[in-house]
Amino acid sequence: MLKDYLPVLIQALVALGFAVGTLVVSVLLGRSARRNAMKDSAYECGMIPQGEAQPRFSVKFYLVAMLFILFDVEVVFMYPWALNYRDSLREHGPMIFWSMFSFIGIVTVGYVYALKKGVLEWKN
Amino acid sequence: MFSPISLEAAVVVLGLFLLLFEAFSTEPDKSRIAWLGIAGLGTILVLSFFTQAPENAAWMRFYTADPLAMFFKRFALVTTIIVLVMALEYRGVVTKFIFGVSPQSGLGEFFALPVLTCAGLMWMASAIDFTLIFVSVELVTISFYVLVAYMRRNTASLEAGVKYLILGALSTGFFVYGITWIFGVTGETNLDLIAAAIPHLEGSKVPLLFGFMLVIVALGFKIAAAPFQLWVPDVYQGAPTPITAFLSVGSKAAGFVVLIRLVNTFMDVPLVREKVVGTMFVLAALTLIYGNLAALPQTNLKRLLAYSSIAHAGYLLVAAASFGATGARDAIAFYLAGYLLMTLLTFLVMIVVANRTGGDDIAHFAGLSRRSPWLAFAMLVAMASLAGIPFTVGFFGKFFVFVAAYKQHQYLLIGIGLITVASGFYYYLKVVRAMYWDAPADDSRIHAQPFTNAIIATLVALIFVLGVYPRPIFDLLKVKPLMTKFALR
Repeated sequence: MLKDYLPVLIQALVALGFAVGTLVVSVLLGRSARRNAMKDSAYECGMIPQGEAQPRFSVKFYLVAMLFILFDVEVVFMYPWALNYRDSLREHGPMIFWSMFSFIGIVTVGYVYALKKGVLEWKN
Repeated sequence: MFSPISLEAAVVVLGLFLLLFEAFSTEPDKSRIAWLGIAGLGTILVLSFFTQAPENAAWMRFYTADPLAMFFKRFALVTTIIVLVMALEYRGVVTKFIFGVSPQSGLGEFFALPVLTCAGLMWMASAIDFTLIFVSVELVTISFYVLVAYMRRNTASLEAGVKYLILGALSTGFFVYGITWIFGVTGETNLDLIAAAIPHLEGSKVPLLFGFMLVIVALGFKIAAAPFQLWVPDVYQGAPTPITAFLSVGSKAAGFVVLIRLVNTFMDVPLVREKVVGTMFVLAALTLIYGNLAALPQTNLKRLLAYSSIAHAGYLLVAAASFGATGARDAIAFYLAGYLLMTLLTFLVMIVVANRTGGDDIAHFAGLSRRSPWLAFAMLVAMASLAGIPFTVGFFGKFFVFVAAYKQHQYLLIGIGLITVASGFYYYLKVVRAMYWDAPADDSRIHAQPFTNAIIATLVALIFVLGVYPRPIFDLLKVKPLMTKFALR
C-alpha cells in the first residue's frame, strides 16, 4: 500500500528540490550580496509602490463581512434541513422543527444585538 | 423534574437575555447585568438538583447526564458565579482600558460573555460524541478569545489575546484532524460506539493511536499540560484577572472531563490501553517537572499561578495515568473541586488587593497581614491548600491522586510527584512570607465589598470542611440507582 504513494514522495522531492535549487543558483549567480533601497522595495508590476502595504480601513467593513458570513452559513445550514424536512418529520416529530427554530432564534438575537449596537450605521 | 438538557438551554437563554439587556438598557451602571447573571446562574444551580434524564431521547447519542456530567455542570455554574463576582470587583481596571463614549460603555459584555462560556463548559461535561465535544469546546474557546483580549487599550491583554487565538486555532486544527483519523478507522463519532468498535479492528492500531495522540495535543492545550503549555504564562498574566481565574479553573476542568471520557474509550483493548497509559505517563511527568520548576523563580503572582496551574494539571494527569484503579476518576473530580476552591479564592483576594496596591507582583502583597488580617488569612489558607498542607482540601486532593497511582503501580510518578510537591511548598510559601514578614508599603487598610467577603468566607470554610471531611464530593459522584443505565462503563 505504501508503494502507491511513491509518486507523491517523488513529486514532493522534485518540488522541494526545485525550490531549493533555484534559490541556491540565484545566490551563486546573482549579485544578491549588493542591496540597495530600490532592490528592497516591494515589486508591484514594475511600478513604484505608493503608500502603505496594509492601509488601515474602518472596522465596519469587518463587521459587515462577519454578519454576511453568519447569515451565509445559516442559509447553507437551513438548505439541507428544508430538503429533508418532510421525510424526517414523521420520525422525529416536533424536534426537527424546534431545533431549527431555536437556531434561527439565537441568530436573530445576535442580529438584533448587532443592529442595536449600531453595526450598520455608517454615518459616524 | 425536568430534563437535564434544559439547564444548558436556560444558561444560553440567560446569556442572550443579558446581551439584549445590555444593548437595549439605557442604564449607565452596568453592574446590574452582573447581578442578573449571578442570580440567574444561582437559580439554575439550584434547579440542577431537580433534574432527571428521560429514558429514551434522540439526543442521548450525543449527550449524557451521568453523575460525572452533573457534577461538572454544577462545577461550571459555581465557577462562573464566582468569576462574575470577581468581574464586579475588577470592573474599575477594565473600564480604564476600554474607555468609550461613556465611562462604562462596553463593560456589559464582560459580564454577559462568561455566561455563554458557562453553557459551553456545561455541554463539554455532558458530551459523549465528538461532534458535540467539538462544538462545545469551540463555544468555550471562542468566547475566551474575546474575553482574554477584552482590555483592548492594554498591550499585555492584546498580546495575550493574539497568542491565545493563534495557538487555540492551531490546537483546534489538531483536534479536528485527530477526530477524522479516529472516525476514519472506526467509522463512529460516538465515544461508546468507538469503544465498542476498537476490539474488532483488524490490522494495525497505529492510525487509531495517531488520531488519539492528535486529540490529546488539543486537550493538552486546553488543560495546560506540558509540552503544550507555552501559551499559559503570557496569556494568564495578560488577561483580565477574573478571566485568568476562569481559564485556569473552568477551561481546565472541562478539558479534564473530556479527557476522562476519551481515555475511558481506549481502555478496553490491552494493546491500545498500554500506549494510552504510556502517553498519560509521559505527559504527567513532563507537566509536573516543568510546572513546578518553572514556578520557583517567579516574582509576579499571576505568573506564579500560571505555572502552578500547569503543575496542578500534572497531578491530575497522574490520576489520568492511573486509570483502571478504582477511584482514579473520582480522584480527578475531587482534585478539581478542591482546585476550584483554592484557585478562585487566591484570584479573588488578589483582585481586591491589586485594586488598592496597584499591581499583582508578590511584592505588592508585602505586609498584607497588617493592612488586612482577614484577606491575608484567606490568602494563607489558599496557599496552604495549593501547596497541599494537611487539613486543607489540597492535601486530600493530592492524597487521593497518589493512592490511585499506587494502586496502578505508578511508583515513578509518585516519586516525581512527591519531589515536586516539596518544591511547591517553596514557591507558595514565598507569598505567605511576603504577607506576614515583609514591611508594607503603606499602612492604609484594605476592604472588600460585603458580598465578596461572604464568598471569600464561604471558600475558606469549604477548604477546611472538605479538608477533614471529603465525603460530600464523593456522594455527588455516586451513581444513583435510577441512573445506572447512563453510568460510565
